[in-house]
Formats: sequence, C-alpha cells, structure tokens
Amino acid sequence: MAEKAILYDASKCTACRGCQVICKQWNGNDEIIPSPSSGDRVAVKSRGTYENPPDLAPDTWIKMKFTEAESSGKMRWLFTRRSCMHCTDAGCVRACPNGTLYHNEFGTVSYNKDTCIGCGYCIPACPFDVPRLKGNRITGIAKADKCTFCTTQGLDRIVEGMEPACVKTCPPGALAYGEREAMVVLGRQRVDLLKSRGVGGANLYGENELNGLHVLYVLEDSPGAYGLPVNPRVPGATIAWKDVIQPVGWAVGGLTILGLGMNWLVARANAKKEEK
Amino acid sequence: MTNQEVEKYRRPVRILHWVHSGAFVVLFLTGLVLFIPQLAFLAEDSWTRLIHRIGAAIFIIVPLLYLVINPKAAVRGVKMAFTWGIADMEWLRAAPRYYFLGDEKAMPPQGSLNSGQKMWWFLTIVCGVVFILTGLVMWFARTAAPAALLQWMIFLHAVVFIVAGAMFFLHLYLGVFHPLMTEAWKAMATGKISAEYAREHHGKWYEEVSKSKEQPAK
Repeated sequence: MAEKAILYDASKCTACRGCQVICKQWNGNDEIIPSPSSGDRVAVKSRGTYENPPDLAPDTWIKMKFTEAESSGKMRWLFTRRSCMHCTDAGCVRACPNGTLYHNEFGTVSYNKDTCIGCGYCIPACPFDVPRLKGNRITGIAKADKCTFCTTQGLDRIVEGMEPACVKTCPPGALAYGEREAMVVLGRQRVDLLKSRGVGGANLYGENELNGLHVLYVLEDSPGAYGLPVNPRVPGATIAWKDVIQPVGWAVGGLTILGLGMNWLVARANAKKEEK
Repeated sequence: MTNQEVEKYRRPVRILHWVHSGAFVVLFLTGLVLFIPQLAFLAEDSWTRLIHRIGAAIFIIVPLLYLVINPKAAVRGVKMAFTWGIADMEWLRAAPRYYFLGDEKAMPPQGSLNSGQKMWWFLTIVCGVVFILTGLVMWFARTAAPAALLQWMIFLHAVVFIVAGAMFFLHLYLGVFHPLMTEAWKAMATGKISAEYAREHHGKWYEEVSKSKEQPAK
C-alpha cells in the first residue's frame, strides 16, 4: 500500500491545540491533573506561555510548541507540532531489541504495546526526543508510548480509510493527510506560494530528512528557528548497538563455545593417550 | 594420590564467589533476552527487568560487603589482579600447548592464581566496575542523563556483556569440564585441594604455604 503522510503547515496553524485535545480523546489518554505525587507525569503550571503541557508524556502524544523569535524589531510567534515524525530511517525501530516498534504498511511507525519490554532504548535513539516511558523507575517495569499515527489496534483510523484524529479536527486546515507523494507536492506548492508572497525563508521539512519523514512541515523560517534538528540523524551509538554489537556478540559467543568444545575433544583425547 | 589437603579458598571467599556468580548468571540470562529477539517474550511486562535489578543489587552489595568485612584480603586480591610479570607472558605463550595437548614443560610454576585465572579475575573487576557504573546511570539517571550519554552507557554495558559473557563460558568450562582441571571445582566448592594438585598447578603458591604452615592460605 502506498505510503501515507501528514502535512503540517506552520503558516496556517493558529496553535489552538485542538489536535492535542482530540488526540487524547480518540486514544483514551487521560489528561493529567497535576499533583506532587504525579511522579513521571508532566505537571502543568504557568510558565508565562500559552504552551501547555510543557513536554510530551506517556499520555501526551502531541503538543504544540510556541517559539518566540525576533527579527528586525518585530516579534514573531512560531508554532510547531511536537509529535512522532514517523521517520523512514527511524532510530526507535533500529534500537528496539525485539521488533516491538516497526514500520506498518503505510510507512509510519507503529508499536505492539503487548510485546514492549520497557527497556526504553528507543528514547535516546529518537532524533526528535519523542517516545516516553511510563512505569516504575525503580523496578524497571514499564512500557513505551508515542503517537501511533492513529494505527493503535482497535482504534485504527487509517485502516478504516479515515484521516488521523488530529487532521480531522484541525480548524484552520493546517493539517492535511493523504498519500505521501501527494503531500510532498502539496507542501512544495505551499512553499512556492509563501515565497511568492514574500516569505523568503519558506521551506518544506521532512522530504528527505532520515530518508523521508511521514509528517512533513511547511515552515516559514529555517528548521532551527523552530527548534527542529537541522540535519536529524540516527545517533551513532544506536547504529553501533544494533548493527555492530549484536552480530559481534553472537560471533564472539558462538566462537567461544565452539573453541571450548574443540579444546575438550582434543584435551580429552590426549589425556586418554597419556593414561595408556 | 595422597590424602593430604591444603586450603585453597577460605569460606568468605567462597561465599563471595558463589553469591556473586549466582547474581552474574541471573543478570546474564535476564540481559540475554535483549540479544535474542526470540526470547523477548520472556521480557514482556518487564519481569526480567525487575529480576535484573534484584540481581544487580546483589551484584553490587556483596563485593562491597566483602570489602568492608575483610578489607585486607580484598585489597590483596585486587592487587593480585593488577600485578603482571614476565612469568605471566611465558605462561600465556605456553598455555595453548598445555590446555590442548597436556604439555606442561614450558609452563612456569604458578602462584595462587595462574596467569589465566588472573586474567579472568582482572576482567571480573574491570567488567564489574563498567557494568555497575553504566548500569547505575541507566537505572537511576534515565531522564536526567543526556540522550547521547545514555546511549553510550547502553553500548558499553553491551560490550562488557559480550566480553564477560564469553569469558564466563571459558571460566565455567575450565572449572568444571576441562580434563586436566580435576580439582579446580573442588577448590571453590569445598575450599580444599589435594597437595598433589596444588604442587602441580600452583607450584609457587604451594611452596609458600608449605613453608609457613601456620599461616592460612590467601
């Protein structure tokens, strides 16, 4: 099946945070009433901004990020979506030791919560700092969570031919959904339009980053200005762990056992010879 | 075979060995599930992670307890791991012929630990420290540590897992299965080995103990 994508247009976004609400509603993720005992959950408090909650959490899969930027004496308010980017070269999928995180038929990144062992290796492996771990830090019993591109089992909108919940609800139409190729075309058209209107820094983010993201951004300024990684990469340590350490571990373990077996055969034969 | 026996390992050392190696086996098996995707179903719902942490607590606390209770012996033991000489190089060169063919002509007389045991003891200390430091960061500084640091902790933990794991097989094999190491198992199980075995395998050490009979061995 063809790859799907979400196109987020920062130039249309009003940061109403309707997407945050519908995401919680559709996926049954509770809003957190902050309390001192809420532990690993993100507490809500006034930080002099409309941005809220302050960070992604196991129960918060999407949040709008507000960035204040100043250029030639004018304050600009830059809005960005903070959620899973559904990378083609996904650090979390690479880091996951047992295939709990995987690319589904639409090219986006799903996960099977039942098989998640809670190792949390996906978290530092993500170039966008998206997955979150919910559980007990001392006992280590935990499960990872993140945006599923509305492919959660039993709540799968995509398979039913519907758009993701956030796209469905977006009042200013800043979110579009469809075949990835069509979204790239739409994004480019939008960038050209913005440029013709004098937004010189307009660009499409995610077309080629990490071999293509499945959430594309139309930006009015450089990705850095929005706090997005300019050249996101899967961290070297993740690649080293999965593609070097794992096979090396198998080779070393196998050769050791093989060598010891050989030693046993040779040494036993010699010991018997000596006895005679 | 004479009936004469010498004490190789005293009780506290043996307790330390068995409790620590027991913890290591638990840690090894519960860590192995990350290397064998087919076994990952055992780790679902994180039970192996809980067991891994209990094992880790024992793995950390028991050597520290030994250090507190028996500081002199501990320091002496650690020093031994870091003392290497020309005789050790000779031993390493002669070892393959000995362990395969039983040819001990070129083997220099050994102390309480032969060079191979000393190598394993050295690795136990180094890998143990790396295991503990990287593990503690992963356990307690999961959210506080920067992502890059956390990643290299995971990587280093895996590196020592491979080194210590492979050498653990070797240790187990030499202690239990090798045709010539007839009493290595006994040394750690009962604490005593025959004088004959001691003379053959730990000549230098045997001489020292026989000279000072009153002094307990190691």
